[in-house]
Amino acid sequence: MNISHKLRQSNYQIAMISVILIVVLGPWKPHVLVEGFQRACLYAVIALPMALILGIVGIINLAHGNYMMLGAYFAYSLNVYIGMDPLVAIVPALIAFFLIGMASYRAIIKYVLGTPELNQLLLTFGLAMMLEQMANLIWTSRPIKLPLQYVSASATIGSFTFGTYEFIYVGAAMVVLVGLQLFLKRTRMGQAALAVGQNPRGAKLVGIHVDRTYLLVFSLSIALIGALGAIFMTRHSIFPLVGGAFTMKSFCLIAMAGIGNLMGILWCSLILGLAENFVLSFRGYAGWADILFFALIVLVIMVRSHQRKVK
Amino acid sequence: MKIPRPLLYLLVLAVLFSLPFFTGVYFLNVMDLILIYMALALSWDMLLRSGQISFGMAGFFGVGGYGAALLFLNTGVHPLVSIVLGGLVAGVLAWLIGSAVLQLRGMYFAIVTLALAEIFRVIVRNLPDLTGGPEGTILPQAIFAGNSTYTYWLVLSVAVLSVAVSEVFRHTRIHFALTSIRNDEIVAKSSGIDVFKYLVFLFAVTSAIQGITGGAYAHIYGFVSPEGSFSVDFTLLPIAMALLGGMHSTWGPVVGAVVLGVVSEFLKLQIPYGHLMVYGIIIVVAILFFPQGIVGTLGQKMKKTSSH
Repeated sequence: MNISHKLRQSNYQIAMISVILIVVLGPWKPHVLVEGFQRACLYAVIALPMALILGIVGIINLAHGNYMMLGAYFAYSLNVYIGMDPLVAIVPALIAFFLIGMASYRAIIKYVLGTPELNQLLLTFGLAMMLEQMANLIWTSRPIKLPLQYVSASATIGSFTFGTYEFIYVGAAMVVLVGLQLFLKRTRMGQAALAVGQNPRGAKLVGIHVDRTYLLVFSLSIALIGALGAIFMTRHSIFPLVGGAFTMKSFCLIAMAGIGNLMGILWCSLILGLAENFVLSFRGYAGWADILFFALIVLVIMVRSHQRKVK
Repeated sequence: MKIPRPLLYLLVLAVLFSLPFFTGVYFLNVMDLILIYMALALSWDMLLRSGQISFGMAGFFGVGGYGAALLFLNTGVHPLVSIVLGGLVAGVLAWLIGSAVLQLRGMYFAIVTLALAEIFRVIVRNLPDLTGGPEGTILPQAIFAGNSTYTYWLVLSVAVLSVAVSEVFRHTRIHFALTSIRNDEIVAKSSGIDVFKYLVFLFAVTSAIQGITGGAYAHIYGFVSPEGSFSVDFTLLPIAMALLGGMHSTWGPVVGAVVLGVVSEFLKLQIPYGHLMVYGIIIVVAILFFPQGIVGTLGQKMKKTSSH
């Protein structure tokens, strides 16, 4: 009770910061607000499956972004060979990446679960490089973008025009977040997964099949991120290295929100998305926006570890 | 017959030193790359011995390269001096960063170092007046006017330096300190080891080696660029080499670098785009099936046969 109370508090603080940001930014730079919001939801929806794996399976998956990259190429290939729209390709991507996740777990991840954290980090790092270079080999490093009409949809309020298609990220983030919350809190399987995440031994004692739960959670997360790749590639150009940055940004968000705090990820990505777009909006300084995440993560982790020491 | 160790070392060193007299330029170029990656693999392994895993080699490699190139261009010091100074810059930077981030452990430290290369790259790209921006900077001429023999000797001395540092770490009190930190930090602390001080020192030293290697690389090839100097290759390859050869030892990374270096020359010709995939596979396979690497596995086998 104590821990969940504290989490709620820190969520509350972060929510306050984002509300202040919105109030300040709204009238001053409305496009920063809208684009930052859309970008934030993209970050959140990428980070959520990673947080699920980290929270329940207890593994930091450094290949996370690379699975998204593969999902994007998967949707691209479906489009090229059978003319399927990337947004329709979400469904086959979900199924295909659930299977890919299962295969990855059974063949690789399973064997490092009990080993030192170092082995897990190295393994998923190797996996990330493998996937990245595999994409490089199959699709070459040339950036690819599909010419889709509907992605440039826009709306105008007064003199202010903004893209409306990107609100798909907002929708995706809401679906994933609400879906995951419902899954974890309301279904038997989800409750079992939560129990395993909290205490694998205890869960085993009360008769939960731990290995199967890990398999399910891992595959589900990979399925989500693979399907997200299909959405991602409609708007962004893709290349084999596109995923790596998202892995790190996702980890930043998870570390900031605290492991196991799914709602907090949304708030943290809101702050970071807005801040990043704010920096981007200054001509000449846009190149610095990429650092923002990492500067913030270092700061947050330092503050956290300092707080722990003081207490 | 048993040859005393120091004599053996001297013999190997003499052979390595005299290689240019009876081999061609291509062979020396391959050796250059192997030795550069060997130094990086060793420096990575040295930090690993304390249980801290760093993905930031490319970052300090690039900082050393840029440091050496810019010092050489702007102050006109001798290239060799600029390489040492570049290493020093990387070392001091690592000391400053380490003082902040070595409070972190495990995955948090690993991810922060993973981000370091990215951060350095962004900074370098955004300071065009100093660093030449995205295009990078071209040096007026490669070191020693591109003479492959001198170049080889330069790289050889960098590699020998890293082997020497690694051996010093293996055979002094530092080894015990690092091993105990890796095994159980709380026990190490209560035995009176200043964990934080050791880690910062180690991080600075290994990063300085990476910086010197980067400086040598920059001077040999005569240019620095954000994409080239901070390339992920300089993180990926050394890790694959150290894992293949065997972690927590001096000779593991050395063996791994030689084996993979030779293999990679071959692979580059076979699959020019995507040969890096093999390194990813090697990392995964090594972790799954023989975490002790070639040297460790062979060592175990030898022990078994000798005990029979």
